Amino acid sequence: MLPQKAEVVVIGGGVIGSSIVYYLAKKGIKVILLEKNGIASGTSSACEGLVFLQSKKPGVHLKLALESSKKFSNLKEELNYDIEYRNNGGMVIIENNEELKAMKIFVEEQRNIGLDVSLLDRDRAKEKEPALSQDILGSTYSPLDAQVNPMYLSFAFISSARNLGAEVYTHTEVTGIRLKFNRINSIETTIGEIKTDIAINAAGIYAPEIGKMIGLEIPIKPRRGQLLVTESVPKILNGVLISAKYIAAKFNPSLAETEGEGISIEQTVNGNILIGSTREFVSFDKNVTPEGINSIAKHIILLFPRLKEINIIRTFAGLRPYTPDGLPILGKVEGIEGFIMAAGHEGDGIALSPITGDLIAELVVKGETSIPLDEFKLERFYS
Amino acid sequence: MKKKDKDIIICRCEEVSLQEIEEAITEGAVTVAEVKRRTRAGMGLCQGRTCRQLIAKLISKHTGRALKDILPPTFRPPVRVVKLKTLGGEESCFLKKQK
Repeated sequence: MLPQKAEVVVIGGGVIGSSIVYYLAKKGIKVILLEKNGIASGTSSACEGLVFLQSKKPGVHLKLALESSKKFSNLKEELNYDIEYRNNGGMVIIENNEELKAMKIFVEEQRNIGLDVSLLDRDRAKEKEPALSQDILGSTYSPLDAQVNPMYLSFAFISSARNLGAEVYTHTEVTGIRLKFNRINSIETTIGEIKTDIAINAAGIYAPEIGKMIGLEIPIKPRRGQLLVTESVPKILNGVLISAKYIAAKFNPSLAETEGEGISIEQTVNGNILIGSTREFVSFDKNVTPEGINSIAKHIILLFPRLKEINIIRTFAGLRPYTPDGLPILGKVEGIEGFIMAAGHEGDGIALSPITGDLIAELVVKGETSIPLDEFKLERFYS
Repeated sequence: MKKKDKDIIICRCEEVSLQEIEEAITEGAVTVAEVKRRTRAGMGLCQGRTCRQLIAKLISKHTGRALKDILPPTFRPPVRVVKLKTLGGEESCFLKKQK
């Protein structure tokens, strides 16, 4: 049964909510997590596990990713859980001159702020990843990129949070939020009501529904990504890779609407290769389509011809929490005391989960954060 | 000699034992998909054809909920494994369809 009150209520048990609950519990806060399905049952289990730094916008976005990356390196020990974290580096595959030009500028900007990233020609790229096609132009490389099992990461946060006294309620849906003089007063759920001063909206693609309960318009939209899973095979890939188109699709919305695809690929600890993804706005439709699967399969064969003979055992689709500018929505919301946003990470949620949890916990305890969250405020969409 | 729970395999493809399934249920997994995410049961070559019924029964047994109320996992293509080239190569099934 739900307790009568809590210091903080976190709404959403994906990787973001799980991380927030952990970092709050670590600070000794009495926190409760509400999740309408199971832990990591939505976006966080329908994605890849890339912890990719090179795809982040140079600036505070990349800064967040760098801080997150530092935290990943000892999370396994800290959480006492094998989250299958591996730091084997990553590459952005460059297929044509146009991409090369764009990536040169992107890499330059990233190097200027101290990111360890370099450009490789075809031969050097193939030395690192022999499975790459002879037809590529080159790639970038950064030793900082890594991968993790997103589901195990979420379970690890939850398990440690529970050990620290957090309470986790799954299959418990938030049905309303009560305000008192523009302050959070209580959260209504399918199993009862809980009093709290602070509510954290970590509901991902459902964050707008939570916002609506207190009259807020949150511009997060679900964007579908279709993926393919291969059978388990001996090691073919050394690190994680994305195509330069991925970067273009991420930061150039007009391109994203038309091309709508950026390849990303990783091999998991178990040997399965995950190949993604399309980027489509189809509301909450989680089905896969022949067109989507065909398009990814075609592109990945061009990049990695030797994967042709490998068996595909499953396809799936996940919905990512897209925001209009590609950045998450983090921090306090003007006019509603005690309401904090932590959603809209789109494809960056896994990579940014440790730093998001840590910063939001800091915000709750101290009222401010060591990395300013001004650029991530919800109000940026209202001006 | 009686087989121990850790020796009884429920998911053959991923070699997940009865003990591991029961631990996942104890940790709070109440659907077949939740057990899968924690244990990999059903993530292998057969995609749960053999084990999903067994897992549903185990969840029912441990939670006391009726078998008909245990959510089945999501079914996704392909129905049986296909080579990547069949989905996107020159011999792609999609190309043949268009001809």
